[in-house]
Amino acid sequence: MMNSDFLERIAYCVEYGKVSLQSPYPPDMKGQDGADEITRKALDEGTAPGLILSEGLVKGMERIGVKFRAKQVFVPHVLMSAKAMNTAMEHLKPYFLSGAVQRKGTVLIGTVAGDLHDIGKNIVAMMIEGGGWEVINLGVDVKDEELIEEINKHPGCIVALSALLTTTMVNMENTVRKIKINNPNTRIMIGGAPVTREFCDEIGADFYSPDPQGVVEYLKTII
Amino acid sequence: MNSKERLKATLAHQQGSRIVIDFGSAPVTGIHVLMLEKLRDYYGLEKRPVKVTEPYQMLGEVDEELRELLCVDVIGLLSRTTIFGFENKNWKEFRTFWGQEVLVPGDFMTTLDERGDLLIYPEGDPSVSPSAKMPASGFFFDAIIRQDPFNEENPSIEDNLEEFKPVTDKDLSYWAEQIRVHGSTGKGLVANFGGTALGDIALVPATFLKHPKGIRDIQEWYMSSLTRPDFLKEIFDRQSDVAVENLKKLYAVVGDAIDVVYMCGNDFGTQQSTFCDPDTFREIYLPYYRKMNDWIHSHTTWKTFKHSCGAVETLISSFIDAGFDILNPVQINATGMDPEYLKRKYGDQLVFWGGGVDTQKVLAFGTPGEVSDQVRRMCGIFSKNGGFVFNTVHNIQANVPVENVVAMIDTLKKINGEA
Repeated sequence: MMNSDFLERIAYCVEYGKVSLQSPYPPDMKGQDGADEITRKALDEGTAPGLILSEGLVKGMERIGVKFRAKQVFVPHVLMSAKAMNTAMEHLKPYFLSGAVQRKGTVLIGTVAGDLHDIGKNIVAMMIEGGGWEVINLGVDVKDEELIEEINKHPGCIVALSALLTTTMVNMENTVRKIKINNPNTRIMIGGAPVTREFCDEIGADFYSPDPQGVVEYLKTII
Repeated sequence: MNSKERLKATLAHQQGSRIVIDFGSAPVTGIHVLMLEKLRDYYGLEKRPVKVTEPYQMLGEVDEELRELLCVDVIGLLSRTTIFGFENKNWKEFRTFWGQEVLVPGDFMTTLDERGDLLIYPEGDPSVSPSAKMPASGFFFDAIIRQDPFNEENPSIEDNLEEFKPVTDKDLSYWAEQIRVHGSTGKGLVANFGGTALGDIALVPATFLKHPKGIRDIQEWYMSSLTRPDFLKEIFDRQSDVAVENLKKLYAVVGDAIDVVYMCGNDFGTQQSTFCDPDTFREIYLPYYRKMNDWIHSHTTWKTFKHSCGAVETLISSFIDAGFDILNPVQINATGMDPEYLKRKYGDQLVFWGGGVDTQKVLAFGTPGEVSDQVRRMCGIFSKNGGFVFNTVHNIQANVPVENVVAMIDTLKKINGEA
């Protein structure tokens, strides 16, 4: 099989959430190889892991992100795509560790202090990872000190903050202020249901997107 | 007309002389305990701890004094046990992270974790794993996901049906007592029976069970709508069978004394979209909602209440086809939820219970003048020809400036000719 065939099949599996041979979803791909098997075969037959990332996984995630923004698919579809991507990503891990495959940079992501909501934040994390970035997911209720410590450990990283509640948006403001004092060059992206572009400007964050694909597209512009 | 009559009229889409008001009838129309304390202070009421009646979101009791001051027309009859599986009784004092003395049920058993966050236990049993956590800088709980391994290819239906059981004699006595106490108040009554919510994502983690089995992880549950739709349908089919049998027994006890049943709080909307398309809703959910709503409509005078946050305009026709009479919270700032459009398109078929003021921006961060303007505008749009109960878009949170809540109340009083 040609490299390009493998890459398109991987992209297709990610776009449609076909995880592995055993996965019953999507029903019209039942009994077919999924992202898991095809990625393995692609590597075994010499496809460059960097290409699998950029032309397979990133493409598939981009397609689902665009459809999600257009409301052609919904949260469960994105979760399935991310599951397929993560399965394929497992095969690429050794190449990330050895440095054979470089990602575009590092994004630290977390839900702000006082807020335990993480589905939206996780979807954004998956989409960023699917955009070819290393994502360090700090979880929920992330305290400012923890975040600043992680920023210092990852020079040049970009920070993504989420808040679902009006009661925790105020914590986002404090967090952004502290980061800008301690690490003035760190770019900060924010999001979450009550968050708006005006709020982003008001608190001095660098970017707001109402949808995950907007984050991926913003990140492309700053490499 | 008294409150109950006014409620009945607006539910029947008849124009009333004043707008019907709800604060506190359901776990999605309530007021946070801190705000209740601020309101009590503002109105100069006796200083005493507020009762936490819905501990997950720390919603407090809107008692008779406040009901009168806020001109509330409805009373919410809570289910016998809370979302943590214990009863609202044996009240004890508790000091919150924000320094407020409140009253909590005797089985409100908590510990602090290593980060100083508050853990709470199902049925008040600290010998099992905690089922929810309140961050030290937070104002309410969120579920802790307790997901044991399960058979992914063939998950057990029974495991996800554990919480849907026949009502007990104890439950029926409780409901009889609720009607005895509240039945002659002249207020509209909203019953929170429980057991009728299909796949409510707040209930999937089963914070009330000591050892939940089955699919309890939220993301796995969402994905199940794609990977195992037949599994969900079978759960909903069997759950709704149990619910109908329970409704029959409950109806025999409460009769037509109640006006509204809070059926389901499952959120089908996000800020800009939905969690599924209308076809998926109609396939997986609609037949089972319909089964429960049909029983209610053919045997009782009750109206059925569906809560769903978010941008659900594309699903509203399906909610109506599923037999729901009432939509809440009518998130007017979500994509596609234009109040005038909603009223024009669905106002004849659906009662809007909420949408009175946006809580994400205007109520929480606006000025009293902005609150007042929006309340006037929304009441003008939604109250035409009845079919409207005033409530904020979801619960009033702890951080809202009290003067904004007072501006909302004062404006409502003026509209209703009571100021």
